[in-house]
Amino acid sequence: MYQVSLAVIFSLFLFGGCANSSPKPVDSVVNVVETECGNNEISIQDVKGRKKSDGFMQVQVIGKSRSDTYQRLEYRIIWFDKQGFTIDSILSDWTVISAYAMQPFYINVTSPNTKAKTFRLYIKNEKEVICDKQDNGL
Amino acid sequence: MRQARQWTVISLITVGVMIGGCTTATTNIDVNNDKGDAVMGLDYRDFHAAAQEMVQSLLASGSVSKPGGGRYVLVVSRITNDTMQHIDTDQLVKKIRVGLLKSGKVVVTTAVGVGGAEDNMAMQTREDLRGNEEFNQATVAGKGNMVAPDLSLSGKILQRNISVDSSTQRVEYYFQMTLSDINTGLAFWEDEKVLGKRGSNKSVAW
Repeated sequence: MYQVSLAVIFSLFLFGGCANSSPKPVDSVVNVVETECGNNEISIQDVKGRKKSDGFMQVQVIGKSRSDTYQRLEYRIIWFDKQGFTIDSILSDWTVISAYAMQPFYINVTSPNTKAKTFRLYIKNEKEVICDKQDNGL
Repeated sequence: MRQARQWTVISLITVGVMIGGCTTATTNIDVNNDKGDAVMGLDYRDFHAAAQEMVQSLLASGSVSKPGGGRYVLVVSRITNDTMQHIDTDQLVKKIRVGLLKSGKVVVTTAVGVGGAEDNMAMQTREDLRGNEEFNQATVAGKGNMVAPDLSLSGKILQRNISVDSSTQRVEYYFQMTLSDINTGLAFWEDEKVLGKRGSNKSVAW
């Protein structure tokens, strides 16, 4: 039985997106802080974030499965406002995602409201207790 | 005689212990991390996952973002339960409503609804209190203050039972939702989530 438990923490800093009503997405800088627990069978390859014209934040994470078997993963994203407080939302609950053997997988999510400024992403195997070795990337 | 009584007591105690040992102890479910086995029917985890996906889809679509800012007023229309289960569709709809309210883009009116107002009090207080000298009329809701809805949320939950073989069945659930613009009657957003379950024919999915 393979074991994957990865807690990945991203902080997404958006510059000038708040007051800008331009429909063009604003460039973002992503600061990635990664903490691994156990055998790592997935890797995170790319993280993109942008502020949409309607004020919501959109995040795309590209990961890759290093396992030679199909995996069901779960991820959750905790959203933070500009003061660093969590934003309570149904969208922060665990969500199942499929990772095919040696294939990339994609997570594409929108923030629960327009106050979201940063986020932290956690990934784990389905039915596995989350690793508690997490770092604060804020 | 005395020995027989002693054996009876011992037997009763033994049976009691055996029965007591077989019962399942009641425990509270950790609803944030419930790894219990799936059930053939719909449970709270299914509604939660469906609602989560619908809210995510709605927000990502941009259909609840009012051009120029402000909030849309949403009314919840008919959500049909077309399954074999006794479902209160609020198990799904309430979560979606909460998610949309928290988005800051939508407010929900409870003053109108398919079968009448969801909350009759808004209308009743007007009818009962307006002109009633016992109440300070300046505190009674005035005429023309209610806000008509812009958007309507409707949907359906469907169930299909399929026999796989003599001992296995598959149950499919479809969560379908539509967001319509009341002014034009056009559907701004639609989505569907499918849940499939496979299990014993002996399991009952209603």
